[in-house]
Amino acid sequence: MADDGSASNRRDPIKSSVGNVAGQRRRQQAVTVAKERRESLVRAKRLCRVGTNGGDEDAHVENEMMIDEDQPVLEAQTSKAVEELKSAVQSQGKGAMQKRVTALRELRRLLSKSEFPPIDAALSAGAIPLLVQCLSFGSPDEQLLESAWCLTNIAAGKPEETKALLPALPLLIAHLGEKSSAPVAEQCAWAIGNVAGEGEELRNVLLSQGALPPLARMIFPDKGSTVRTAAWALSNLIKGPESKAAAQLVRVDGIVEAILRHLKKADEEIATEIAWIVVYLSALSDIATSMLLKGGILQLLVERLATSNSLQLLIPVLRSLGNFVSVDPKAMLTILIGGQNTEENVIGVLAKCLRSEHRVLKKEAAWVLSNIAAGSVEHKRMIHSTEAMPLLLRLLSTSPFDIKKEVAYVLGNLCVESAEGDTRPRIIQEHLVSIVSGGCLRGFIDLVRSPDIEAARLGLQFIELVLRGMPNGEGSKLVEGEDGIDAMERFQFHENEELRVMANSLVDKYFGEDYGIDE
Amino acid sequence: MAVDTVGELGFPYWNPLRRRFPPDSPFFASGNVERELLAKQVALDFTEDEITNLQTIVETESRRISCPIVGCPERLKSLDNFEDHYKTRHTASCSVCSRVYPTSRLLSIHISEAHDSFFQAKVARGYDMYECLVEGCGLKFKSYKARHRHLIDKHKFPTTFEFFKRTQLSKKRREKLQRQRVPKLKHEEDKEEASSDAMEVEDKASLDGLVSALSTLTTSDTTPSNVSFGRRHGRGLTFVPRSVHREKPTNSSSTPGSKT
Repeated sequence: MADDGSASNRRDPIKSSVGNVAGQRRRQQAVTVAKERRESLVRAKRLCRVGTNGGDEDAHVENEMMIDEDQPVLEAQTSKAVEELKSAVQSQGKGAMQKRVTALRELRRLLSKSEFPPIDAALSAGAIPLLVQCLSFGSPDEQLLESAWCLTNIAAGKPEETKALLPALPLLIAHLGEKSSAPVAEQCAWAIGNVAGEGEELRNVLLSQGALPPLARMIFPDKGSTVRTAAWALSNLIKGPESKAAAQLVRVDGIVEAILRHLKKADEEIATEIAWIVVYLSALSDIATSMLLKGGILQLLVERLATSNSLQLLIPVLRSLGNFVSVDPKAMLTILIGGQNTEENVIGVLAKCLRSEHRVLKKEAAWVLSNIAAGSVEHKRMIHSTEAMPLLLRLLSTSPFDIKKEVAYVLGNLCVESAEGDTRPRIIQEHLVSIVSGGCLRGFIDLVRSPDIEAARLGLQFIELVLRGMPNGEGSKLVEGEDGIDAMERFQFHENEELRVMANSLVDKYFGEDYGIDE
Repeated sequence: MAVDTVGELGFPYWNPLRRRFPPDSPFFASGNVERELLAKQVALDFTEDEITNLQTIVETESRRISCPIVGCPERLKSLDNFEDHYKTRHTASCSVCSRVYPTSRLLSIHISEAHDSFFQAKVARGYDMYECLVEGCGLKFKSYKARHRHLIDKHKFPTTFEFFKRTQLSKKRREKLQRQRVPKLKHEEDKEEASSDAMEVEDKASLDGLVSALSTLTTSDTTPSNVSFGRRHGRGLTFVPRSVHREKPTNSSSTPGSKT
């Protein structure tokens, strides 16, 4: 707690403006720090707070997260630690090794226990060349570990801080080899994962320096934290958007088998990182996609979706499923026919995701369903006959906009057969009638009113289906009843010409002069 | 409907298509954010609320909604904000016929053209009453059709644009109109169309009488003797029908009797 003297100094209004300026600066710093913190939280890089070794010497301080010090003090300590390291690196003979490890450990502690690691201070003091030296071949494991750990956390910072690791990359990659001890290899993988998470440029550097094969081999064992860290690093390395890393990975002997094996049996933490690898492979490599499908990945994904409740795992598994479904309609056919038990079939697990409270799962599950619903009439019938229908109808009325849009795609796709060539797509009246009587019209008209062009277009297209396809011309009355005409007339002054024309043509055709005259 | 007239206009019918997204597509952004937040949650001990807040901040910072109404420059932070904005700025509604317009200027033009008998009287006497809808243009025309042509030719409005669209009347009004229409002969209807140009009034018969009676009146006490045609841009309306009460006069010449 701040002592009363200093506290009253800060609050004393009689004090000169210097006090105010300092206060302002602190507030300013707090704001920029908060923004930086937010950004760091969504970056694909991860700080290492507890070492891969388990950190037994530090056991008593393991849970101490924050170093409760002023940032300038922290920075001064960091510079001092780097100085210590410098002299330790230069010293020779007995005790030199211990000196180095002690200095490294101090630097590592400063970089891992504080809320905002003083990365910049470390770099300015010249930490990188020293850390690279500590990575030299033949160095003791402890030294390699501490050095890699420091580099890991430096790389977890801002882009320019990550880029500072360039000189260290070849050595980090070298220590991924099978001759390295597991904790050392894992820590190096972590550092590489942070570098790969920075951006495409650094990913390309890593690839050109041969990072992929040794990293890939690290995921062959059945379990262990090394497998998990390496899989995470690998997912960062292949995420693209260029496909060459994904293509290179699938060529590694035995990798597809390892991926399938982990998806089937591994614990949820490992399975999560493996699933992200599958996400990128299925999005970026056709060869990988077909090899994985042949290996039966769809069933494995469905099983994970059915049995897991971990959001971390469900997100990439669901997305992988979505990627496969969006690419290969034939694959869809086989799994849909295969599933007997409702809980374990595809529609069942997708319904489970729709029921989830998590936005991402609901949205992406609806997306997957929309692609299945874009398939054959059998696919549509299958969805239409399940528990997914009431879920979808409810979501259309109640969910946030982005989920609503995806659900709209599902419902609309269920009502229409895909068109061949130029002919107008045929309406499946049975589905249209049941969906409309389920109360979906209001939701679609809401979409018409939204500022999102794609959503408004969807809404108008569905209204057209209702107007054209409902029996006995009921469509017009239904649309009118839900203020559909009003919604369509909004487009008169809308800046998008296509939507204006669409809305006008519907109103002209179905609500023209003759409307309502024959009653 | 036997003939597919909508097809001729090229309506893009709903056609089920598979949608595929690349891994870095904004479609997946919220899932990616979730991944990182969940991974760091253990180490940094967030609450559920903090995570939701972070999610929302990240998403809204990148996604602003541009108001799609022609000429409106607003960019809103959220859908709710957009709805509020739309309700306050773009739903000026006519108290006579309930039509809705996106600006008060367009609403007042509508009111003059559709519900003001003095306006029709002036039209009948050959004054250029139909003003261009584009703010700042200032041109005026003798007929609805002529102004329509101007909007298309000069301001590139689409040919399908109709300022005065025939809209859905209530059942009661429809029946009333039908009863008036039926005894009339077709060619008389056409003649009326030509003179009032798509104008739709609740009780046509009585209006006709009113117009002819009014056409003998002078209107110098309500209109400026000089009417400017686009000489000065940005002045907007130079004539305001007496029957309309404007909440916010947009320029100095909105009071009757002013000279330009």
